[in-house]
Amino acid sequence: MAMDTKNVIETRGLKKTFLDFWRRPTVEAVKSLDLTVRQGEVFGLLGPNGSGKSTTIKMLLGLLHPTGGELRVLGARPDDMRAKARIGYLPEVSHLHPFLTPRETLRYYASLFGMTRVEAAKRTEELLAMVDLAQASDRAVGRFSKGMARRVGLAQALVNAPELLVLDEPTSGLDPIGCREVKDLVRILAKTGVTVLMTSHLLADVEDVCDRVAILDGGVLRAEGKIAELLRQPDAVRFLIEGLDDEAAESLRLELEARAGRRVRQDYPAMSLETFFLQVVAKEGRARDFALAPFLARPAAGQREGGTCAEA
Amino acid sequence: MVAFMTAQLTKTAGLRRTLRQLAAIAGTTVTESIQQPVAFLILLSAVLMTLLVPVFQFHRFSEDGRLARDSGLSCMLVFGLALAAGTAGRSVAEEIARGTAAAVIGKPVARATFLLAKWLGVLGVVALFWCGVTAATLVSERCSAHFLTRGDFTGYAADPVTLLLAFAGTGIALATAAVRHYMWRRRFGVSAFLGVMASQVLVAAVSGFYNRFGQLYPLVGEAACEGCGGGHAHGAARLVFYHPELNLRVLPVALLVLFALAVFSALATALATRLQTGAALAVCATALLFGLAGDSLWAVAPLLSVRGLAAGLLPDVQHFWLCDAIARGGQVAWRYVAEAGVYALTCCALFLTVGCAVFRERDLG
Repeated sequence: MAMDTKNVIETRGLKKTFLDFWRRPTVEAVKSLDLTVRQGEVFGLLGPNGSGKSTTIKMLLGLLHPTGGELRVLGARPDDMRAKARIGYLPEVSHLHPFLTPRETLRYYASLFGMTRVEAAKRTEELLAMVDLAQASDRAVGRFSKGMARRVGLAQALVNAPELLVLDEPTSGLDPIGCREVKDLVRILAKTGVTVLMTSHLLADVEDVCDRVAILDGGVLRAEGKIAELLRQPDAVRFLIEGLDDEAAESLRLELEARAGRRVRQDYPAMSLETFFLQVVAKEGRARDFALAPFLARPAAGQREGGTCAEA
Repeated sequence: MVAFMTAQLTKTAGLRRTLRQLAAIAGTTVTESIQQPVAFLILLSAVLMTLLVPVFQFHRFSEDGRLARDSGLSCMLVFGLALAAGTAGRSVAEEIARGTAAAVIGKPVARATFLLAKWLGVLGVVALFWCGVTAATLVSERCSAHFLTRGDFTGYAADPVTLLLAFAGTGIALATAAVRHYMWRRRFGVSAFLGVMASQVLVAAVSGFYNRFGQLYPLVGEAACEGCGGGHAHGAARLVFYHPELNLRVLPVALLVLFALAVFSALATALATRLQTGAALAVCATALLFGLAGDSLWAVAPLLSVRGLAAGLLPDVQHFWLCDAIARGGQVAWRYVAEAGVYALTCCALFLTVGCAVFRERDLG
């Protein structure tokens, strides 16, 4: 079957069956998966444990060999070195050399892309500043907290300025500020044309950043599409009005009910816990001075403050 | 023409990138491996066991030097084998299990490049170990009692000064590593490993500034080195400024042991793509035993037989174990060393090719 070369990731009937020592099939992890990820989009791969998300990602990276079907990444086979040089990968657990410092780790990964010492050093310092680890850059990674190790992992995924960024549980182990920062980073990268494929158990994170999602279960694709389309309730409309007192809101609700001839529900939307937490930390002056701070001013998707919401 | 030049430039850039990858992965493997406490303990054990031989020699029969030399070379082979297998297991099998290998292979790194770089890294660690134990062996042989006949002395003379320096050097290396770790947070394992290795090389070099009676040079040649066992001609009276009373005929023999360790490093690296450290070590130890006994086990076996096949596949360690050749003033020819090097390289290439083929099919992650 011909594949569209404009798609960054394209699979057709992709299968993966794990075999035992005697090469007998044990687990059918992915069953005939058809998936397309287009350039510049943020694509979320969701599913419960054992649904085949990580297996799919590892096949995309050439770490696992597919049992059947077709697979193209950046228009090439997954083991093509030129294609791999354009991919950044953050594994589910940050598998780093425990005795190396973040600086040594990033220089190491930079050299794997063929960078010279000077280039690697320059890129390393940029990334250390970006993930806010410049102060801890001479401590062994093995002594880092999970969140700090995750930051090093994220930096190594960006060391080659990738066209395709594959993030396996990117916010795992991060505090709310770190999560927010990663999500903002993903959106910024997407705006610059980077395609992002991410998996996460935290559905709110996926909802915040992804353009499209696919839901896997038992190795089978159960649903795929734009988040707005998948989550839309076609028979309901919501209005958001700011600065309305209770009395005016109640009279408006009654008016709407009379006009529509249906029941109108009124509520007061709350900000997300994440937004509240970030506000508290900012008031206490304990917010970190991130390299990404200029980008954090942009309100997160779905953020609603100080308004009355009516749903019909 | 343009297409040809583009192709050549691409090839050159690809080669340069592969070389950088090899250097980076091998270098990281060396740093990570010598940081491990077990690597340092293996080096320390081998050095101390070699240096302790002259201390516990009771039966002389003029064989003290040989005993020290053989013990040092044996320690080099046995401890070196454990170090090679352990390092390969940690840097390949454990990295595959932990996912570190997947993180590297996820980059534009070919699996064959990864495996070759890992072998080079293991070889680097083994080479550092070899430097330290070779120096300790030379020192140990010098410190053993030698029968001397000089104008003012006839009898057995040991060299307690150099022995004391060798032990003190080891202690200073450990103390320095501890201070560096405490004061500047430098890696203790790396400092201690390199320090112990360097201390032995330094002591071997410094011992050339005095004779075995502790007399500093310059001395007249006759007094300086009579009966030193260095395998050189003692001419008429002359002024000696620097005379290392080291048996340098040990060097080609030690180099052959390094070749054997390179072969076992390749075997262990290839095995580690499928087996855990303990299993790889067990297979290497078995290969060593059969390799040492190869002459008697299948020397006369026909080529097309099980024994003949075993003889062809297993490395013949006897080619690399020539301690007896220098027992009575003999010398190992450098031509033989070169030929043994080619044989070792062939064995390494064979094991690594099989390892690459196995690793290529392996699922990672």
